[in-house]
Amino acid sequence: MWKAFVRWFHRMASPPHFYAAASRWTPWFFWSAIIVIAICAYGGLVLAPADYQQGDGFRIIYAHVPSAWMSLFVYVNMAIAAAIGLIWRIKLAHAVAASCAPIGASFTFLALATGSIWGKPMWGTWWVWDARLTSELILLFLYIGYMALRSAMEEPSRADRASAVLAIVGVVNVPIIHYSVVWWNTLHQGPTVSKIGEPSITWAMLWPMLGMMVGFMLFFGAILLTRVRGEVLARERNSKWIKEVAVS
Amino acid sequence: MENVGIFTAAARLVERDLKVIFRHVSEALNPLVFFVVVATLFPLATSPDAALLRDMAPGVVWVAALLSSTLALDSLFKADMDDGTMEQLALSPQPLAWLLLAKIVTHWVVSGLPLVLIAPLVARGFFLPTEAILPMMLALALGTPTLSLIGAVGAALTAGVRRGGALLSLLVLPLSLPTMIFGARATDLAGLGEDPSGPLYLLAALLFLTLSLAPLAAAAAIRISLD
Amino acid sequence: MKPRRQRLVLVVMIVVGVGIATGFALRALQENLLYFYSPTQVAEGEPPEGRKFRVGGLVTPGSVNRTEGALDVSFDLTDNNTTVTVAYAGILPDLFREGQGIIAHGRMNGDGVFVAEEVLAKHDENYMPPEVAEALDQVHGKDSGP
Repeated sequence: MWKAFVRWFHRMASPPHFYAAASRWTPWFFWSAIIVIAICAYGGLVLAPADYQQGDGFRIIYAHVPSAWMSLFVYVNMAIAAAIGLIWRIKLAHAVAASCAPIGASFTFLALATGSIWGKPMWGTWWVWDARLTSELILLFLYIGYMALRSAMEEPSRADRASAVLAIVGVVNVPIIHYSVVWWNTLHQGPTVSKIGEPSITWAMLWPMLGMMVGFMLFFGAILLTRVRGEVLARERNSKWIKEVAVS
Repeated sequence: MENVGIFTAAARLVERDLKVIFRHVSEALNPLVFFVVVATLFPLATSPDAALLRDMAPGVVWVAALLSSTLALDSLFKADMDDGTMEQLALSPQPLAWLLLAKIVTHWVVSGLPLVLIAPLVARGFFLPTEAILPMMLALALGTPTLSLIGAVGAALTAGVRRGGALLSLLVLPLSLPTMIFGARATDLAGLGEDPSGPLYLLAALLFLTLSLAPLAAAAAIRISLD
Repeated sequence: MKPRRQRLVLVVMIVVGVGIATGFALRALQENLLYFYSPTQVAEGEPPEGRKFRVGGLVTPGSVNRTEGALDVSFDLTDNNTTVTVAYAGILPDLFREGQGIIAHGRMNGDGVFVAEEVLAKHDENYMPPEVAEALDQVHGKDSGP
C-alpha cells in the first residue's frame, strides 16, 4: 500500500505525467464542486430554518465559515507543498505552493469581507480589532508578502526556495489564529462545529455548512489544478513534451 | 582554518562585528535617533494633551521600536553578503545558524538595547506613570530581541534582492505583530496599575521560540541567497 | 569539538529553547488575559478610574429605558451577581435585546453610570430555529436568562 503510494507520488512529480493527469481531473473537481455548492446553497438558503436570534442574517455563515476555514487550509497546504519542495527538491511541489498563494489570499479576503457584512447588523460594527479578525488580516498580509517575495526574485529556483522558507516560518502563525478565540475572550463567538459534546447547531442548519466546506474544497482543487497546469506550462516552456501537448 | 569550538567561534565573530560597527558609530546610532524622532512626531501630529498622550504612550513606544528595529535590519547581513564574508561563514565548520545567532545578538546589543535604555525618557515625555517604567523596559528587553530575530529571517530572505527595503518591511512586520501586541499590552496594563505578567510571559515564550527556531530559518535563507 | 558534536549541542539547545517557550506560554495562559470587565469587577473598582474600558454582561430584562424621540437609551448589565447601569446614545445593534450578551466601551461618570460610546452585541455560538429556542427555554424554565 505504502509502496504503491510512493510510486504514485513519484510518478506525479514528473511534470508531463502530472499535466496529463491534472487535465483529466480538473473537470471532475469543477463539476462536482458546482453540484455540491448548488445543493448546499439551496439547503442553506431555503431549507434551513431562520435562526432564533439572528433571523435570516445568519445565512451568511454558508459563505463566511467555509472561506475562513479554507483561508487556513490553503495556507497549511501551501506550507506543506513548500516543505516537500524544499526537502525533496521536487519542482512540482514548488509549483503547487506558488499556485496556492493567490487562491488562499482570495479566500482570506472573502472571509474578511463576508465577516464585515455580517458584523455590521449583528455586532453593530463593520470591524473590531479583536484577536481573530486581526489574525485573519495578518494572514492576508502573509499571503501578500509571500507573493511579493516570489515576484521580487528573478530566478525561479531561488524564488521557490526562499518563498518556501517564508511559508514555513509563517505557518507558525496559523495555530495562533486558530486558538486565539480560545485564548482570548473576544467578541467573535466560539467555534460551533468542532466543539466537543453536543453540537450547538441543529442538523438542518449544519449539513449545508459541512457540505459547503466540501464544495469549497472541491472548488479549490479545481482552481489549484488549473493554476498548477499554467505554472507547469510556464516553467517547462522549453522542454520537448510541451510541444507535443501544444500540438495535439 | 583551525577548527575552534562553537563558543570561541561565536566570541570571535562578535568581536569582529563590534569592531566593524564601532568604526561607523554614527551609522549604528541611526536606529536610536529614528526611535526618538518617530516618538516625537506623535504629540505634534495629535495634541500635547497629557491624558491623551498617556493613553497613547505604550502604543507609540512599541510602534516606534518596531519601525526602528525594521529600519536597522537592512544593515544586518548586507555588508557581509556584498564583501563575501557571508560565504566564508557558510563554509566554516561551525553551524551557520549558530554564527548567525551570534551576529543577531551583536546587532541587538547595538540597535535594540539602546532603545530599551532610552525608552524611559520617551515614556516620561508621554506622561507614562513612573511605576510603569520598569515593566515597560522589561517588555522591551524581552520583545526587541524577538523583533531582531524575526527580522533576521526577513533580512536573510531578501539579502539577495536588490532594493529589498520595502519588501523586507512587508515580510517582517506581519510576523512581528504578535510581539508588538503583547508588548504594548504589558506596558498598557502596567500604566493602568495592573499586573502585566500575562503578556510578559507570552513575550518570554515568543523570545525563546524565536531564539531556538529563527536562526535555523535565517541560515536556510542565507544559503539560498548565496546560491 | 567535532562538527557532529556541535550539531548535537545545537539540537539540544533548540529543544530546550522550545521547551522553555512552551513553559512560558502555559504560564501565561493561567494569567488574566480578559478583553472586558464584568459588572462585579466594575463594582469592586478593578477598572482604572477615569479611563476608557470595556464592560461585558447580559442585559437585565425590563431594564431598558428609551427616551421618546431621541436615540438615548439606558439599560442594566448583569453577570447574575452585580449590575451596572449603562447609558448610550446611538443606534443599537440588531442582536441587542434583553438577556443578550453585550460589550459596552466607554467610561464611568461620577454617578456610577457607565457612559458607553459604543455598544457591541456578543452573540453565542448557538444557531437554532426559533421553535427550538422556545422549546429549550421551556425545558430549562425561564432561568436560562439572567
